[in-house]
Amino acid sequence: MAKEKIVIEVNGEKRVLDVDPDCLLVDLLREDLGLTGTKIGCREGECGACSVILNGKIVASCLVPAIKADGGKVTTIEGLGKNGELDPLQKAFVEQGAVQCGFCTPAMLLSARHLLDQNPQPSLAEIKTGISGVLCRCTGYVKIIQAIQSIAKGN
Amino acid sequence: MEKRKKKVLVKEKSKVLEMPPVWEELSVVGQSAIRVEAIDKVKGTLKFEGDHAYPDALIGKVLRSPYPHALIKRIDVEKARTLPGVAAVMTANDVPGRNGIGAVIPDQPVICGEKVRFVGDGVALVAAETEEIAIQALDLIEVEYEPLPPVFTVMEALNPDAPKIHEKGNLLSTVRIRKGDAEKGFKEADLVLEKTYSVPFLEHMYIEPDVTIAIPHEGWITVKGPMQAPFTTRKNIAPVLGLPTNKVQCVQTPIGGGFGGKEDSPIDIGARAALLAWKTGRPVRMEYDREEITLTTAKRHPMVITCKIGAKKDGTFVAFEGTIYDEQGAYASLGPVVAPAGGVHVHACIMLAGPYVIPNVKVDGYLAYTNHPYGGAMRGFGAPQVNFAHESLVDELAERLGMDPYELRMKNCVELGSETATGQVLDQSVGMKDAMEKAREAFRWRDLWKSVLSPSALRNADRQKGVGMAIGWYRTSIGTGFDGAGVNLHLQDDGSVLVYQGLTEMGQGLSTVLSQITAETLGVSLEDVRMIAPDTDVAPESGPTVGSRSTTLMGNAIIQAAEMIKRPLLESASELLGIPAERLVAKNRIIFDREDPGQSVELKEAAKRSFITGRRMMGQGWYTPPKTSFNIETGQGSPYFVYTYSAQMAEVEVDLKTGEVDVLKVVAAFDIGKAINPILVQGQVEGGVMMGLGYALMEELVLKDGVIQNLSFQDYIIPTAMDAPEIVPVFVEHPNIHGPFGAKGIGEMPNIPAAPAITNAIANAIGARIYDLPAHPERVYEAFRSRCEKKG
Repeated sequence: MAKEKIVIEVNGEKRVLDVDPDCLLVDLLREDLGLTGTKIGCREGECGACSVILNGKIVASCLVPAIKADGGKVTTIEGLGKNGELDPLQKAFVEQGAVQCGFCTPAMLLSARHLLDQNPQPSLAEIKTGISGVLCRCTGYVKIIQAIQSIAKGN
Repeated sequence: MEKRKKKVLVKEKSKVLEMPPVWEELSVVGQSAIRVEAIDKVKGTLKFEGDHAYPDALIGKVLRSPYPHALIKRIDVEKARTLPGVAAVMTANDVPGRNGIGAVIPDQPVICGEKVRFVGDGVALVAAETEEIAIQALDLIEVEYEPLPPVFTVMEALNPDAPKIHEKGNLLSTVRIRKGDAEKGFKEADLVLEKTYSVPFLEHMYIEPDVTIAIPHEGWITVKGPMQAPFTTRKNIAPVLGLPTNKVQCVQTPIGGGFGGKEDSPIDIGARAALLAWKTGRPVRMEYDREEITLTTAKRHPMVITCKIGAKKDGTFVAFEGTIYDEQGAYASLGPVVAPAGGVHVHACIMLAGPYVIPNVKVDGYLAYTNHPYGGAMRGFGAPQVNFAHESLVDELAERLGMDPYELRMKNCVELGSETATGQVLDQSVGMKDAMEKAREAFRWRDLWKSVLSPSALRNADRQKGVGMAIGWYRTSIGTGFDGAGVNLHLQDDGSVLVYQGLTEMGQGLSTVLSQITAETLGVSLEDVRMIAPDTDVAPESGPTVGSRSTTLMGNAIIQAAEMIKRPLLESASELLGIPAERLVAKNRIIFDREDPGQSVELKEAAKRSFITGRRMMGQGWYTPPKTSFNIETGQGSPYFVYTYSAQMAEVEVDLKTGEVDVLKVVAAFDIGKAINPILVQGQVEGGVMMGLGYALMEELVLKDGVIQNLSFQDYIIPTAMDAPEIVPVFVEHPNIHGPFGAKGIGEMPNIPAAPAITNAIANAIGARIYDLPAHPERVYEAFRSRCEKKG
């Protein structure tokens, strides 16, 4: 299979890449770009551990062919903070005990960031819906929800 | 029999122990310190094993049996072996050492030779240059099977004519508990209630898939991966390769969720990768995908439990009888009895009568092999199953007696000095009643229980609320002969500390808690402590990270080790200050005179002096808990040295038209001895309760003819954020005299009474009981419908 040239902006940086037509975005990020903060839990778009923000939408990157991201903008966990500072959500997750094993944490943070970008003052129900695409087996979601609420209030 | 029982039943009627000393004012322990690895986790920079690339490694794969029970008549690997890019194909004959693995009994072939015992059993291994080639090679292996009649239930397995799954037969363990005279007790009862409960196989569904890398060296080998129990893994890999223990190095990488599952699975995947690496002389990476994990790794044991309780009119329990049919599946894993009281099965039997005072108890347990996947450890180790049974039964008894289920439990539950079903006198740290009272207050049980109970409410609504409760207990640590935990502490000349130990951080917060205990005991600050990830080449034997044992056992080992360094450290400070060492206290990086705190020196100055003067900079700790006992004939003894207690109350809303259940709120109260880090303990509670909600309402492995029907997250449903109720953790602290700063275990307890608290709330809402888990909508709807029909 011939490789295709694609251009993607990943975490604010323009990347020109040759990819196989069947390469998935998650593999492009993890293997070609070394952005291993994006995790793989099922490769079926069910667990949400591979969630990234693509063109302003939260997507399961294990279901997206890399070539579909051509010309697009991707934000991964590595791009969440700005200028070496943690995103307020990252700080809230740390301080409020919203992190346990940490495997779903990057995806959960991106889901939460996406939610707050769309809806700065979400209700409890909106928060639950907003992060429901990412499974967490450790926390019971309680402290994750609280951490998001603590940032939402500030807005 | 009765006479014999009396003879062996020598009760250690120890009196109630003195309360432990009041701890000095604490500065690090008891604080909600931030998880030490949290920043790395929120940045996504923490590398899990799957995040490492090994360009030179071969990819290992397993060929798996499609049959639940079959003889392997012929296996031909030639085509696979000659496929370009294939480095090795291995069958049973190629295993250099013991062809058996298992956490307790090594009865699972690493590669099956003669027969297969469940769908997913491994029959050949392949290592190839790429994953594609490895998969292609698997397709080229020809296996001829002769299917055997399979066995799918314990009842079938125990039939004398049943096909034998293992040569020694299908019955793996039996347990008997005999206290008093159950038969006589039931005769004295005013009310006797008997019910049968069933619970399904459960999958852990940790989000991080199992993965490992095996790297061979000259004469020894390294195996890395997310291992809950690196020492158990090592103990299995070494004999498989035919190597002495010290030639196998197991290194724990960050664990993306374990819940008991990553006690067994790293043995399975690690031994196989190690075999291929040993054979080829090259690093071998092996990863199981989601379906493969569900297909082949250990599960929570399914059980069918019949129990009977007898009570006086006033609610006093007089007799209890229970039988557990406990399904082990294809291999022994952690099921069988490990003396005196280790293994899932014996633990389940011991817990079956609940945290109650009952003078006459009779329990029989049967653990049998079947041709299903095997049962192992999963958060509660046999306790969630039996807790669902006894708490459903007690709740129904309350209904029959016309009593508030809280009052019935309060009347009969254990307190300090009580004697359990095994004749153990609970001599310390028994906060059962205290936890119940605190739960009742936080939940406002009295108000809610009354308001919901009105029967007229039931008929007129589409949605009906209900409240329910359950109580439970759980041991700290494993109740086996070996139960040690070792640690080395290295003090540096700048006052910083390295901790070498072998219990694993898997999200529960152990690294943080142990850092806090180290800092508190040595008098340094939390930032001065660095935990070294468990590595069997470096850390002392520590046992497995299971049984809610880690904080208590390793905490004590750390205190021992710290004392060894602290004495010389205080001597150094004494020289610097000219004050006797006995008067000195180390806290928050300062060593000061207890009588005149102004007289002080920085701890790092004392550390430097210790170094220069050649004083000891290294401490060693080895802790084993108080000896436990359990007589396998009578089921009497003190099987575990301390217990954690919990009372949980749930409020649910049931859609009467669909049977769907929303859990609105759970109050979960615990006697945990001492919260070393309250926010982490809350995290354990919230996560455990949520997992219990999954057990109550949605989780089960569906098996048909030995084949799992729901292998992925798509159809094995676990709770999402949409299911999250309000969870209110409540703690009481009845110090554990054997625990560091009074602590005892908490990891598993939250998961245990959550399910029956929820199903009892459903019963309260719909007026009908749930006897089989999970209480999925069809089941709830059916229970409600048949109850309506009965009542007309």
